[in-house]
Amino acid sequence: MELAIFLMASALSIAASILVIIQRNPIASVMYLLTSFVSQVILFIMLNAAFLAMLQIIVYAGAILVLFLFVIMLLNLRREDFGKDIKLKFKPLAIAFAVVLLFETTVAISSSAMLERAQAQLPPEFGSVQAVGMELFTKYLYPFELTSILLIVAVLGAVVMAKKRL
Amino acid sequence: MADLRLMLPELILFAWAMMMLMYGVIRKNVGGNTMIYLAMLGVVITGFSIPMTGYGIAFGGTFFVDKVSVFFKMIFLGAAFFAAASSSSLLEKLKSDHGEYFTLILLSTVGMMFLISTNELITLYVALELTTIPLFVLAAYRKDSLQSSEAGLKYLILGAVSSAILLYGISMIYGLTGTTFINLAFGRLLEQSLGMLTLTQEVNMAFIIAMIMLIAGFGFKLALVPFHMWAPDVYEGAPTPVTSFLSVASKGAGVAAFARLFYSALPSFGEFYWGIMVGTLAAAAMIIGNITAVLQSNVKRMLAYSSIAHAGYLLIGFVSLPTTVNDTPFGPASIMFYMLAYLFANMGAFACAIAFEKNYGSYEIKDYQGLAKESPALALTFTIFLLSLAGIPPMVGFFAKYYIFLAGWPNYSWLVIVGILTSVISLYYYANIVKQMYFNRNETVLAKAHFDSPLVITLVLTVAGTILFGIFPESVIKFANNAFDAFPF
Repeated sequence: MELAIFLMASALSIAASILVIIQRNPIASVMYLLTSFVSQVILFIMLNAAFLAMLQIIVYAGAILVLFLFVIMLLNLRREDFGKDIKLKFKPLAIAFAVVLLFETTVAISSSAMLERAQAQLPPEFGSVQAVGMELFTKYLYPFELTSILLIVAVLGAVVMAKKRL
Repeated sequence: MADLRLMLPELILFAWAMMMLMYGVIRKNVGGNTMIYLAMLGVVITGFSIPMTGYGIAFGGTFFVDKVSVFFKMIFLGAAFFAAASSSSLLEKLKSDHGEYFTLILLSTVGMMFLISTNELITLYVALELTTIPLFVLAAYRKDSLQSSEAGLKYLILGAVSSAILLYGISMIYGLTGTTFINLAFGRLLEQSLGMLTLTQEVNMAFIIAMIMLIAGFGFKLALVPFHMWAPDVYEGAPTPVTSFLSVASKGAGVAAFARLFYSALPSFGEFYWGIMVGTLAAAAMIIGNITAVLQSNVKRMLAYSSIAHAGYLLIGFVSLPTTVNDTPFGPASIMFYMLAYLFANMGAFACAIAFEKNYGSYEIKDYQGLAKESPALALTFTIFLLSLAGIPPMVGFFAKYYIFLAGWPNYSWLVIVGILTSVISLYYYANIVKQMYFNRNETVLAKAHFDSPLVITLVLTVAGTILFGIFPESVIKFANNAFDAFPF
C-alpha cells in the first residue's frame, strides 16, 4: 500500500516536472508546477515531515504560484508570443550527461549509508512544528537570522531593478 | 552578548549599509563624491573594529573568528573600499548618487565576511547567497545599457543553477552523516569506515558524488574552466567598479569557503581523487584562461580571462593544502598571500581601466597607443599593476606566484610546470599593453588625463600595496603561516 502510494506520487511528480519545462504556455507550466508540488507534499507526509508538507502547500502552492499567475496575467501574453522551440546545440550531449548523472546518483544513493539512516527508527516528535521550531531557534538561530538580511537584499534589489528612476 | 561581540565588524558594516540607504533616501540628488567617501569611511571603521573582537566561537559553532577569517575579511574590505572609491565616473553616468549602489556593495561584503566565518553548511549557503544576490543586481546596474542587463541576467541564471548544484551536494552530505557541521560530518564519515583512513566502498561512492557536486557548484562561482563561460560576458557587461569587485572579492570569498570546506574533507576524501580532480581543473583554468586572454582586444575581457587564469594559480595552493615546508603547512598561507597580491594588482588594473575610459571613452587595447607620452603617471601605474599580475619582481605578484609554486612543488610538480609555462604566456598579453602605451606612436594626440580624487586614492594605495608588499613580503607570509595553526578551528 505504502509502496503503491509512493510510486504514484513520485511518478506524478516527475511527469509534472517534465511537463513544466516542455510546455510553451506559461499558465499550463504553472499548473503543472502546482501538480508537482502537491505530489511532493504526499512524499513529505509519507516521510513524517508534516510541517514541511504544510509549508509546501501554504508557501509554495499557495503564495508563490499565485504570484506567478498574477505576473503572467499582467504580462498579457498572447498565443503567438509563446515562441518556437529553441534549438539547443548541445541537446544530445546534455541529455547524455543527465542520464549518466541520474544513473550514478541512483547507484550511489542506493548503495550508501543514507538508506540505513532512512530505515532507522525516528523519534515520535520528528517533523512536527515543535521539533522544527526547536532546531530552528536554538541550533540554527544564527543562519535563521541571517536570512533576514538576505530578504532585505532581495527587496532592495527588486526595487532597484524595477524602478525606472530612483 | 559575548557572541555578538565577535560579530561586531559584520554588524557595524551592516548598520552602515542600512544607514547609507536611509541617508540616500532623505538626501537630495546633488552629485559629488559624498556618498563615495561615506562608503569608504564605513569600510575603514569596520576594518579598525576587526582587531578589537578577538578570536572565538559563537552561536553553537555556527560562527567563529580565527586568524584566517580575519585575514580574508581584511581582503574583502579592501576590495569593497577600492570598488567604492573607483565608482565616481559610474555615478556620473547614472546621474544618480543615491545610496543603494553602495548599500549593495557593502551588504555583499557582509555576506563574504559571514561566509568565511562559518563551519556549518546551512550558514555557508545562506552567506553565499547573501554574497551573490547583491552582485546580480550590481552587474545589471546600468539599466540604460543592454550589455549590462544581459550580464545581470546571465549571472542570475547561472548563479541560481550553481546554487542548486551546491545545495544538492550539501543535502547528500547531510544524508550521509546526519549533520551539517563540516568538521562533525567528515569526522562521522571516518567513524563509519571503522577508523580506517579510506572509506568503505559504499560510503565512498555517494560521498564522491556529493564532493563532485560541491566542486561543480563552487567551480561556477569561481569561474573555473569548464564552468567559466559566463565570466567574460558578465565581466564585460557589468559596470567596471562592479567587475573589479566581482573579480577580486567574490573570487576570494569562493576560494576561502572552498578551502575551508575541503580542508576538513581532505582526510576522508583520499589524496588520489582530490589531486586529480582539482589539479585538472587548475591546469585547465591556467591554460585556457591565459591562451584566450591573448586573443582579446578589450581590456575588461582580457582581465576577465586573466582572472580565470589566476583562479587556476590559486588552485595550485589549494591542492597542496596539506603540504608542509619546514614542518609548517604552506598551502593555505600561499593562497592567502596570493589573494593579497591579487587584491592590489587587480583592483589597481581595473582602476586604471576606469581612469582611461573616463578620459578617452574606450576599453579597447588599441586605443592605449601612446598613452605614456600624454599621461605618464597613468601609464606608469598601469604598467606596475600589469607587471605584478604577470609576476615580475619586485612587485608583490612575483612573491605570490613564488609561494604558490613553492607550496605546490613537492606533490604537484606537473601543475607547477604548467603554471610557469602559462605565466610566460600571460607575460605576452600583459606586456602587449605596456608596449602599446610606451612604444607605439599615436597619430591623434591624446588629451591630458584628469582624475577625480577618490580614484587617485585608489591608485595611490594600490600602487603602494603592490610595491611595499613586494619588497617586504615576510611579515604577511609569517602572519599567514601562524594563522594556519588554527585553520580548521
